[in-house]
Amino acid sequence: MSLEPRLEEWQRKTEASVAKRPERKNDFPNHSDISISRLYTTKDVPATDESYLAKLGFPGEYPYTRGIQPTMYRGRFWTMRQYAGFGSAEETNRRFRYLLEQGQTGLSTAFDLPTQIGYDADHAMSRGEVGKVGVSISSIHDMETLLQDIPLDKVSTSMTINAPAAVLLAMYLVVAEKQGVPWNQVSGTIQNDILKEYVARGTYIFPPKPSMRLITDIFDFCSREVPNWNTISISGYHIREAGSTAVQELAFTLSNAIAYVDAAQKAGLQVDDFAPRLSFFFNAHNDFFEEIAKFRAARRMWARIMKERFGAKNSKSMQLRFHTQTAGSTLTAQQPDNNVVRVTVQAMAAVLGGTQSLHTNSKDEALALPTESSARLALRTQQILANESGLTDTIDPLGGSYYVEALTDAVEERAWEYINYIDHLGGAVAAIEQGYMQQEIHRAAYDTQQAIERGEQVVVGVNQFTTASDESSELLRVDPEIGQKQALRLATLRSQRPLQAHKAALQKLRETAVGEGNLMPAIIDAVRAYATIGEICDVLRDEFGEYRPSVF
Amino acid sequence: MGYPIRVLVAKPGLDGHDRGALVIAQGLRDEGMEVIYTGLRQTPAQIVSTALQEDVSCIGLSSLSGAHMELFPEVARLLREQGAEDILIVGGGVIPDADIPPLKAAGIAAVFTPGTRIEKVAEFIRTHVQIRDLPLDDGGTPFPGVQGIDHIGIAVLDAATAIAFYTQGLGLSVTHEEVVQDQGVKTIFLPLNAVQIELLEPIGDDSPIAKFIAAKGPGLHHIAYAVDNVETALAHAKTLGYRLIDETPRSGGQGKLIAFVHPKSTHGVLTEFCQHAHKGVDESS
Repeated sequence: MSLEPRLEEWQRKTEASVAKRPERKNDFPNHSDISISRLYTTKDVPATDESYLAKLGFPGEYPYTRGIQPTMYRGRFWTMRQYAGFGSAEETNRRFRYLLEQGQTGLSTAFDLPTQIGYDADHAMSRGEVGKVGVSISSIHDMETLLQDIPLDKVSTSMTINAPAAVLLAMYLVVAEKQGVPWNQVSGTIQNDILKEYVARGTYIFPPKPSMRLITDIFDFCSREVPNWNTISISGYHIREAGSTAVQELAFTLSNAIAYVDAAQKAGLQVDDFAPRLSFFFNAHNDFFEEIAKFRAARRMWARIMKERFGAKNSKSMQLRFHTQTAGSTLTAQQPDNNVVRVTVQAMAAVLGGTQSLHTNSKDEALALPTESSARLALRTQQILANESGLTDTIDPLGGSYYVEALTDAVEERAWEYINYIDHLGGAVAAIEQGYMQQEIHRAAYDTQQAIERGEQVVVGVNQFTTASDESSELLRVDPEIGQKQALRLATLRSQRPLQAHKAALQKLRETAVGEGNLMPAIIDAVRAYATIGEICDVLRDEFGEYRPSVF
Repeated sequence: MGYPIRVLVAKPGLDGHDRGALVIAQGLRDEGMEVIYTGLRQTPAQIVSTALQEDVSCIGLSSLSGAHMELFPEVARLLREQGAEDILIVGGGVIPDADIPPLKAAGIAAVFTPGTRIEKVAEFIRTHVQIRDLPLDDGGTPFPGVQGIDHIGIAVLDAATAIAFYTQGLGLSVTHEEVVQDQGVKTIFLPLNAVQIELLEPIGDDSPIAKFIAAKGPGLHHIAYAVDNVETALAHAKTLGYRLIDETPRSGGQGKLIAFVHPKSTHGVLTEFCQHAHKGVDESS
């Protein structure tokens, strides 16, 4: 007997029973407005050998839908990389070493806002912000302290830094030099994704054009000198945190990625020389299946973009590798223990989606920076999933699920619609300049807020299942004196460094900025001459100008 | 009543996460308020200056970076310094419960943390905001000796490109051009019957016009009324309680005497009185 008549019969019977006893809602759209069916069967996903091979293939093979490695977590777990950083370089170094002792396998550095915007800790704009959302790094001294007793040839370090990524990378390389570690042995990632800063995160410095130059200079420099460095982590995370849907997150991230590859090709680089070191950074939200579908669709789309659009030949150029962070914006200050559950569900989606590395948020992050014990619990969550849950014993366990495959197709289709439209606007840079992505995200954010306020979207502990009062937990406090301490250190540095070398290095940087050469060597020399991040960025501000967004 | 409540939504410090600020801005608009959003990276001084220029009765501060304990009280302090403590300040963002009492003590009327319904924020603002005391209209009598509109000042980024609209587009011609150094401005006059259009181009980043453009963009900057005597007009304005920018007249180029009245007390329009030195002579002759 064939499926069709039986399915129809079942649907008829079910409709009749729904008429008597209605379902919870009339329709079940997800956050990306994809309407979810009552039931998925083989009818929803073509089940021929041809379609399987074209759309799914095998792990480690084009189009990589089922994963980029042939054995995935049967070979090695993902990198457990908890984002950390606060206060001074000493304090963050202590937290780093603690996390490594607890079994974390890679470092991930959060910088404070002055560092992220290229201001020294003693700049007037830094007031109140020093050491607050990350570690304060103004000079090579701070970077040496941050990395003290951490072997840079063994540990890979991810740095969440964008506008001044070249400066922080230069500092990292100079510290490696001082530790006697050759640059071809250091590994890590800089976020270095400026386009999403204009779209969603706000820590930009320069206008788009010179920013793109800094990025392609890094691609070029690292492809020759620091071959194991991931030169960019193209981020959907912040786009999602700013309120986008899953489909928008995927589409805007891939559009930005296309713009970077375009820029690098226009700068004369060969795609297979730099593309293997591009990586991605996604958000893992609450809608479990939509997230898994998003990760699988992302791999398939990127493979196609690299092969068909950019003519990549190296399979490494076609493999979308990504870091995942659980969704900070879904955590609630109300009943913070509930956040442990949210983070677990989100982390499972990342693992079932095939992530290469993962950060799990701490339960207290809707209130303040994580304490040591909440950071440990977040790391333990990953270790439990890896070692106890069995999620890791086979590759892409949800592959072939009628629902997951149909949803992967739906997410992909809608993401292509966005990408094609952005192409039509002239690409990601033009779309951002026109405010297109920002408006789409803002609209989605406002829709979410209204859905929560109307009670259509349930947030446990906030608009349902509330309790009268929450017991307050212990929060991490950053030393309020840290701004003054950092200012004092900077004054000492400025009085002790060799004047002539410092001046000459900044002059050379200025000339390179005005001219056309690669900026990296000049920045590295400036760092060696004890130039601070503020001084280096000021030279570039002078020559490049500053980005001013159009106001809402 | 009938005046919409004007609210400034501001992002002090370097924090770029403005999802909450934007959602609140949109939500308060939907609640019928007039909302101005500062954009990112504002110092407390910039926020206070914008609040005064925009004549708002409420400032909503948003911060997620943990800098609220330094930046929020500073906004309150600067408002007091400007004699504008009647402006209601509310805050929001990632703010631990323990910080709320000291923020309130520092002059922040309420702190709304994530999960708050927008209508609750709007309700709080409605019930706590002070409708600004506007001077009573004394029956429509103009200031003594107001002769008409002398000119309309328009701030432009680049006079050379802006002129085209007025000359080619409207057929006016330039009769006077001058750089007023102490104001950091280049002014260009294009008369049309009795009224002149004055284009104002900033010549430094710190000039009042540069700041105006940075805050609001190019556009209408002030309206100047020709008066018999600036001093008399100022004195009259002062007795009625309008807020003066200039207590005494100063030189405004073209041999004019000028003085400004603060937009805060003139419904958002910067108002200039100007007296032509030679005009009096002409008329008497």
